Amino acid sequence: MNKRTITLTVNGQSYEATVEPRRLLSDVLRDDLGLTGTHVGCEHGVCGACTVLIDGMPARSCLTFAIQAEGHDLTTVEAVAANGHYSALQRAMHEEHALQCGFCTPGIIMTFEAYLKENADPSEAEIRQVLSGNLCRCTGYQNIVAAVRKAAAAMRNGRT
Amino acid sequence: MSEASQFHQIGRALPRKEDYRLLTGQGRYLDDIVVPGALHASFVRSPYAHARIRLIKTDAARRMKGVVAVVTAAELTQWTTTLRMAPPIEGLQPTEMTALPVDKVRFQGDPVVCIVATDRYLAEDAAEAVEIEYEVLPAVLSYDDAVCAGAALVDDTLTSNLISHQTFEKGVVKQRMQDAFAVVETSFTQHRQTHLPIETRGCLAVWDGGREHLTFHIGNQVPHPLRTQLAARLRLSESQVTVISPDVGGGFGQKIVLYREELTVAALARQLRRPVRWREDRMENLQSSSHAREQTCRVHAGVDRDGRIAALELEIIEDFGAYCFYPANYLARVVAMILTGPYRIDHYAFDVKVALTNKCGAGPMRAPMSITSWVMDGTIDAIARKLGRDPVEVRRINMLRSQDMPYTMATGEVVEDITPLETMDAALAAIDYAGFRKRQEAERRRGRYMGVGLCVVVESTAYGSRFYKNAGIPGSGHEAVWLRIEPSGVVNASVGLMATGQGYETALAQAVAESLGVEASSVRILLGNTDVAPYGMGSRGARGATAGGGALYLVGEKARERVLVIAAALLKLNSARELRMVSGRIQRMVEGQWAETGLMLAHVARTAYLDPSALPEGVAPGLDFSMTYDPPPLTFSNSTHVCLVEVEVATGRIMIERYVAAEDCGTVLNPIIVRGQQQGAIAMGLSGSLLEHVVYDSETGQNVTSTLADYLVATACEVPNFEIISMNTPNRHTPAGIKGMAEGGVMGAIGALTNAVNDALAPFNVCVERQPLTPQAIRELLRGAK
Repeated sequence: MNKRTITLTVNGQSYEATVEPRRLLSDVLRDDLGLTGTHVGCEHGVCGACTVLIDGMPARSCLTFAIQAEGHDLTTVEAVAANGHYSALQRAMHEEHALQCGFCTPGIIMTFEAYLKENADPSEAEIRQVLSGNLCRCTGYQNIVAAVRKAAAAMRNGRT
Repeated sequence: MSEASQFHQIGRALPRKEDYRLLTGQGRYLDDIVVPGALHASFVRSPYAHARIRLIKTDAARRMKGVVAVVTAAELTQWTTTLRMAPPIEGLQPTEMTALPVDKVRFQGDPVVCIVATDRYLAEDAAEAVEIEYEVLPAVLSYDDAVCAGAALVDDTLTSNLISHQTFEKGVVKQRMQDAFAVVETSFTQHRQTHLPIETRGCLAVWDGGREHLTFHIGNQVPHPLRTQLAARLRLSESQVTVISPDVGGGFGQKIVLYREELTVAALARQLRRPVRWREDRMENLQSSSHAREQTCRVHAGVDRDGRIAALELEIIEDFGAYCFYPANYLARVVAMILTGPYRIDHYAFDVKVALTNKCGAGPMRAPMSITSWVMDGTIDAIARKLGRDPVEVRRINMLRSQDMPYTMATGEVVEDITPLETMDAALAAIDYAGFRKRQEAERRRGRYMGVGLCVVVESTAYGSRFYKNAGIPGSGHEAVWLRIEPSGVVNASVGLMATGQGYETALAQAVAESLGVEASSVRILLGNTDVAPYGMGSRGARGATAGGGALYLVGEKARERVLVIAAALLKLNSARELRMVSGRIQRMVEGQWAETGLMLAHVARTAYLDPSALPEGVAPGLDFSMTYDPPPLTFSNSTHVCLVEVEVATGRIMIERYVAAEDCGTVLNPIIVRGQQQGAIAMGLSGSLLEHVVYDSETGQNVTSTLADYLVATACEVPNFEIISMNTPNRHTPAGIKGMAEGGVMGAIGALTNAVNDALAPFNVCVERQPLTPQAIRELLRGAK
């Protein structure tokens, strides 16, 4: 297949990559750009591990072709901790033991970094509903829910 | 916690050291390791459940862009040896397995051809171009089919598909049954499931031709045993192979053995003299990695009029799939060995049969003995129903008390320091059992069907070498460690375990820090590299804390003794008896009080390394320690799970109202991590019981649950919050009283949920005997209700 050279904006930085049109965004982020924080768990859009933000909205990078992402602002987990310091959500996940193997974690972080910007005080049921788009095999979800609630409270109180 | 409170580092709720890299996208999983020029492997798999391979045409694939090699069993059998599975176990047929099937495929998804290309997309393109001619054979798709007269043989070298059959009897079971007031019969069928780590299998093999050395990167739970197997099957020495396990995205038992794809990739890297990597896709993971749990247990319990169990008979049949990556009795045997668990049952017999079928091979999945507690406590519930008694009272009358221990089970295993009664009482008090019964009665009158289910669990956690020896399985249950206090006083330590999410870098540092007398933050735990870590048996079962943590605790003691001997010399004392170390500070007992000496571990370490002539006579330079530890034959934790459900009889929907578990897992290294393991284990048990199901089409043998849209796993909306009551009775025979845990939650969830559903449906006189408990299954049961 013919390769095309595309320009992607990821975490505020511009990258060029020469890729086949069929090449997945997840593969380009990881293998061409070296941003391996985004994980690939199922490659059919169910597990949510590969979730990134496209123009601020959570999206499955395994269901997106890289060429579709041209002209959009992409954000990956590498951009969440500013200057190496945890975001409120990351800190809450650390404190609440909301991760074990950590493979699904980047997808969950991206989902809720976006969600908490729009929803300052979600209920447990709402958090569980949103979290249902991300599979976690280790934790049983309880601590993730607790961490999201804690992060929401911290953000409401002005801590980031 | 009276015992536990003597600790300074063990038992601290420290957040994990691992988290920073994992939360910031800086974890290093297999696919994050960049090796320039690495080739990518892809496998062509059988579309049939059972077929003879007639002809493989690879020419078109070989000519495709980017393709470097296309290989089959023809090449692999030259490059690798077969896996012979023939432990000296009576009633077990020996098997052999080649790297790729030579003459026939045995399940849909069996790998047949391996393509190596310059990128994964091109390797998959070429896989499409391979043509294989098959002669389709009749497929054997269930245990019953497999053991039928005239059934097709899954493995042509065997005399029958009944791969394993053992029996056991202790006491006078038949006599006791005849004399019993009643004999209660029960049946329990667990369905085929799979581990589903969110990171699928994969590997990266790098052959260094100049050094004739293979570096094999792979997310694996048991790096050293894997190295032994890989080296042997490639005809290399163990010093020619390094296994490196990076961060691992979940294992749950799936990442233990050397799979055929992994052996193939390693062999190809060596032959091609180029790095080769493989990443399994999710469909391959669901079809071809490893499955688990497809067992049926039938029980006869002879009881007196109060429900006291006079004799128990267990029959297990298991569908093991097509290949033996483990001895075929490996999983079912443990169920039979520990079935009686928390109860006094002296007259006991079992019969365990395992058959091969044309399905993916089975292996241990988190709690390979998961069905055990459901079978035992489901039987207790059936006894209670038959005799019209309260299920709690029937448990109580049969339960082992502290004064009964140590208690030798009929099978010879010894339980000690377990607290079934205490956990049961704690869990029942938490849910207000009597109050619930009243509410249940009232709700029934209003047409709402609530149920309470109990499951009392005795979880076998760590297996010592003596258990393996008794079981006839080659291998050991010991663990190995080393510890180095570096010249600056910081501590590096290593163990043969490998983490797949258990937070070993944090919890095991606490075990070392405790006995050595330093802060956990100053201890780094190194794992997963066979050139760095000592040869240990790795992570499986719930052995990590007892075998690995125990060994690290002991080596910390050994190091502390040496440090204090040196400290005594530096302080010009005759003996180290009055010294101790806390947080790296040497303290001395002066007039009944611990006082600072001003001497620090760093001073001692500097002397040991850089000024050895100042050391006392007979003390060698350096602070370098190693040892091994072989735990008792079998260590147990215990718990009681209580689940409250409502069953919507019109739809068959099950709603979990509350879930309480009281668990006694002895001394806990890190309560945060233990809590996470408890929650995760219960969730896995509930997910398996409610949703997960590997389904094969009963005619064609096609796996029809090969995507995550078909193989359903619990999301955050399907599991409740878990209320955990922590109890901590130390084990008196293990270092620091550690017991281990992390599988009992699966066992308890399966039983508590199903027993609760049966309790809810009692007015309809129906009983769930098989999982999963889908709405369809519940409705079908209710439609047949009398």
